[in-house]
Amino acid sequence: MGELEFLRPKSVADALKMLVAYGDEAKLIAAGSAVVLMLTQRLIAPRYLISLERLQELYSLNHDPGIGLHLGAMVTHYQMESSPAVRTAFPVLANTFHKVANIRIRHQATVGGVLCEADYASDPPAMLIALGALVKAVSPRGERWLDLSELFQDFYQTNLAPDEILTDIFVPEMERGTGATYLKFNTRSSEDRPCVGVAAVIEHNKGICEKLRVVVGAVAGTPQEFPEIEAQANGRALREELAREIGHAYAESIDPISDLRGSGSYRRQVIEVLVRRAILQAGGVT
Amino acid sequence: MKREITLHINGRDYPTTVHTHQTLLEVLRDQFHLYGAREGCGVGMCGACTVLLEGKPVSACLSLAVMAEGKSITTIEGLSHDERLHPVQQAYLDQAAFQCAYCTPGFILTTVALLEEHPNPDDDTIRDYLAGNLCRCGSYINILDAVRQCRQSASS
Repeated sequence: MGELEFLRPKSVADALKMLVAYGDEAKLIAAGSAVVLMLTQRLIAPRYLISLERLQELYSLNHDPGIGLHLGAMVTHYQMESSPAVRTAFPVLANTFHKVANIRIRHQATVGGVLCEADYASDPPAMLIALGALVKAVSPRGERWLDLSELFQDFYQTNLAPDEILTDIFVPEMERGTGATYLKFNTRSSEDRPCVGVAAVIEHNKGICEKLRVVVGAVAGTPQEFPEIEAQANGRALREELAREIGHAYAESIDPISDLRGSGSYRRQVIEVLVRRAILQAGGVT
Repeated sequence: MKREITLHINGRDYPTTVHTHQTLLEVLRDQFHLYGAREGCGVGMCGACTVLLEGKPVSACLSLAVMAEGKSITTIEGLSHDERLHPVQQAYLDQAAFQCAYCTPGFILTTVALLEEHPNPDDDTIRDYLAGNLCRCGSYINILDAVRQCRQSASS
């Protein structure tokens, strides 16, 4: 086996050519906090690392009022928590990214990276799905936009084809009268990955729920959302009783994993409580 | 594969040869003998290997040396000048903010980055920023005192 080579394409087109040429032997690397960890732990052994660092088109961060937030895949977690545009238009996103890991990881890790890694114990995926985010995948065959919820297939698996690169993320502007919250539960203070993460987004008018999205992360191979349960909230008053009902239904519907951050039965109880709290908080019910 | 690169460490350029798979931490320690960056957990959680890359704290165990090419790297060895300690180093000494000191370089560099960003941090900001650096001796109270001593308001 040959030694690892580090390649630095200067455009998405060049990166795609390398990806096609080296196929299974290549891995894309953004800032490296995930890929370098997998390398040093001997979980992956690629022959080529294709670095996205010099792809200038992947660094944009633009908020278009009334339209939404457009992010290049190389935008860092730290930019997400500190950018005035994100803090003003999507305070819930700034808050979610601030809750990730530690300051070093947030300076390094990228938005595209955390999505493509598809680590179940991550914070941003659940929140971005609840906000209706879309991602763009580019390949030599062209480009496609897909709903972020479709990206995640299973533990560390996405539906990106081997010749695709995730280049952009788009988060549609929140409708007026929309509340959003992300609640993260950590089992230990030294543990920085979530045991359970709950994202709730509620469109409401005069105390009546018009649309509810609740996505639970870190409890299964992919973020968990149940449209039929969410639909039960439509047209109903935003009260404790409703939040309890939805929390209970989510806890019953999810089959949580057991890992070092909590057993399945423990997680189920945490889900019930956190979903209830997230709905009350997002709905502004005190 | 071996690769010739120039690393910009503590204000100077150093041409060197590294293997692509080598982490920045390995190269700093094994080739440059900068032992202030330590390997603790090896997975980015503990902060013992913290260095500043372009002034921002990162885990040297999660960066490849080749990825640091062209960027300014600051290690604990680069903070003092002419035998004079950096004010943050002095504050950690003044407050006895360590026991075994394995975590100290990481804490000091993270504190430098914190103060760059928030010259006058309140206690919550300090705790939040330093939450990713672990001290297994439990010197947190003294560390908090050391950072308080560095606040702009403390010197005025």
